[in-house]
Amino acid sequence: MNKASSLASRKRREKIINAVCFALVVFFSALCMLPIWWIFRSSLMSNNQLFANTVPFFPPDWLFSNYPKALVHFDFWTYLKNTMIIIVPSVIAGTVTAVMGGYAFARMRFVGKKFLFTLVIGSMFLPVMVTLIPLYIMWTNIFKLNGSYWPLILPYFCGGGAFNIYLIRQFIMTIPRELDEAATIDGAGHFRILLSIIVPAIKAAMIVVALLLFTQMWNDLIQQSLYIHDAKKFTIALGLSQFKGSLKQDYSAIMCATCMSFAPGIIFYLLGQKYFVEGIVLTGMKS
Amino acid sequence: MSSKKNKKPRNALMRAENRTAYLCLIPSIIGLIFLTYVPLMEVFGLSFFSWKGNGFTGFKFVGLQNYIRLLTTDPYFKTSVLVTLYYTFMAVIGSMIYSLTIALLLNRKIPARGFWRAVFYLPYLLPAVAVYLGWNWLYNINYGLFNYILNRIFHLPRVGFVNDAKLVAPSLALVSVWLAGNLIVIFLAGLQNVPRTYLEAAEVDGANAWQRFWNITIPCMSPIIFYNLLMALITNLQVITPALALTKGGPGSSSRFVSYVMYQYAFESRKFGYAAAVSVMLFILIGIFTVILFATSKSWMFNQGGDD
Repeated sequence: MNKASSLASRKRREKIINAVCFALVVFFSALCMLPIWWIFRSSLMSNNQLFANTVPFFPPDWLFSNYPKALVHFDFWTYLKNTMIIIVPSVIAGTVTAVMGGYAFARMRFVGKKFLFTLVIGSMFLPVMVTLIPLYIMWTNIFKLNGSYWPLILPYFCGGGAFNIYLIRQFIMTIPRELDEAATIDGAGHFRILLSIIVPAIKAAMIVVALLLFTQMWNDLIQQSLYIHDAKKFTIALGLSQFKGSLKQDYSAIMCATCMSFAPGIIFYLLGQKYFVEGIVLTGMKS
Repeated sequence: MSSKKNKKPRNALMRAENRTAYLCLIPSIIGLIFLTYVPLMEVFGLSFFSWKGNGFTGFKFVGLQNYIRLLTTDPYFKTSVLVTLYYTFMAVIGSMIYSLTIALLLNRKIPARGFWRAVFYLPYLLPAVAVYLGWNWLYNINYGLFNYILNRIFHLPRVGFVNDAKLVAPSLALVSVWLAGNLIVIFLAGLQNVPRTYLEAAEVDGANAWQRFWNITIPCMSPIIFYNLLMALITNLQVITPALALTKGGPGSSSRFVSYVMYQYAFESRKFGYAAAVSVMLFILIGIFTVILFATSKSWMFNQGGDD
C-alpha cells in the first residue's frame, strides 16, 4: 500500500519533470529559431521599413517580390550550380574512399596496420589551418591548379578525412563477423563482401559521413576564396561575400540572399535526417 | 613453423589480404602523406625562411628570425593570441554548457523529439558566410534583433556588439554557441548509451535525480564530454571565418584571430615564411591545449572498460 502510493507519487513527479523539460525545450528552440525568423522577416521588408524607427517584429507587407529583385544582382542559381559541381563529386568520393579505408581497418590484417591507424587518428587532431599554406603552395606552384575547382575537390578523393574513416570503421566493427565468414566460405572475395554485406549494413553511417562532408564544404570560405577568383566560378559562400561588399546598405536584398543560401542545407538535412541521427547513435562515438 | 606445406597457403592468403588492404587504403595513404604529414613538415621548414612565394626561387634562410620577430616586435601576433584565447574560452564553455543542457532536455520523454532535435541542429547546416551576414544584421545597433530585445523589451541602452571592440569576441562566441548543433547530437547519442540499469539501481538505492546525474550520467558521459571538448577547442582555436566574412579583424584588432593574422601575412602581404611561423605557433598553441586535456583526462575521465 505504502509502496504503491510512493510509486504513484514518483510517477507523478516524473510526469511533472517531463512537462517542465518540454516547456524548456519549446522555450529554447524558440530562442534558437529567433535569429532565423528575424533574418527571414527582414528579407520580406523594404529597406524603408527595415530602417524605420518602429522596428516591427512581423513584416508589415510580406514582400515576396524582394526575392526576384535580389536575384537580379545575386546570381543564386549559378552559385548553387558551382557549389554543387564541387560538393557532389567530393561527397561521393569522400564517402567511397572512407568506406574502403574503414573496411580495411575494421576487417583486414595487414603489415603496418597499427602504425597507419595511429597516423589516421593523429591527423584527426591536426588543425587544418596549419597546413593551409603548404597546400596552397602545392596546388598553385606545383600543380598550377589555381583558379580551378580541383584543389577543393581532389582532397576528398584521398580518404575523405580521418574522422570519417574512423566513423566507418567503428560502424563496421559492430557488424557480426559471422556474416562475412559465411560469405567467405561461399567463395566471396573482399570486394563482394564489402558491396553485398557491409555497404547495405552501414547505410546510415555512410549518410552521416556524406552529411558531414557536405557541411564541411558548405561552411568553407577560406579555401574557396584562396583558389577561386573568377566571378563566374563563384560558389554560394563567395557570391554572398561579394554581394555583401557590393551592396553595403541594401539589407533587404542581403537578407534575401542569406535566406536563399539557407535553403539547400536544410533540404539536404531533411532528406537524410532519419538516417543521420540513427547513424550517430549507432556508432556510439565511443572513446 | 615446422611444416612448410601448411604455412605456404596461409602465407599466400595473408599476402593477398595485405594486397587488398593496401588497395583499399591507397587513397587514404596518399591523403595522409601528401595532404597532412608532408605539409606539416613543410610548414615547419618554411618557417625558417623568408619567401615571397615566387615560383621556387627567392628562398632566404633566416633561422629563428621569424619567430623572434613574432614574439617581440610583431604588432599583431601577441594580441591575436589573447583575442583567440578569449574567444575560444567563451565559445567552448558556452557551447559545451548549451549543448549538454539541450541534450539532457531532449533525452527526456517529450513529444516530437525528432522535430526539436532538428530545430537545434538546423543552425549547424547553414553556410557560415550566410550565418555571419545574418547575425551582423541581428547585431545592428538601431534595427537589429538584439537591440530590439534590449531596448524595447528590457529598456536597456543599445549595444554595438560586433562594432564594439570590447564586445566583438563575445558576440562572435555567441554565434559559435548557436552553431553547436552537432555537439548536441553527439551528446544525445552518448546519453542514449548510458546504461539504464545503473540509473535504475541507483534509484532503488535512494539516489535523487541530482545524485544520479552527477554520479552516473556524467561519469558515463565523460568520454563523450572529452571528445566534444577537444573538438570544440581545436575548432575554435583555429577560428577564421567570422574575421574573413564579417569583421576583417576589427574593430581595431579585437577580432584579429591567429589564423587571420596568418592569412593576412601569407595571402595579403605574401610573406609566406613569416606566415608559416604563425602557423607553427598556432599548431603549438593547439598542441598545448590538446596535451593538457589528454594529460588531465585520466583524472576525470571514467572508463567503463572493455568498450572498444
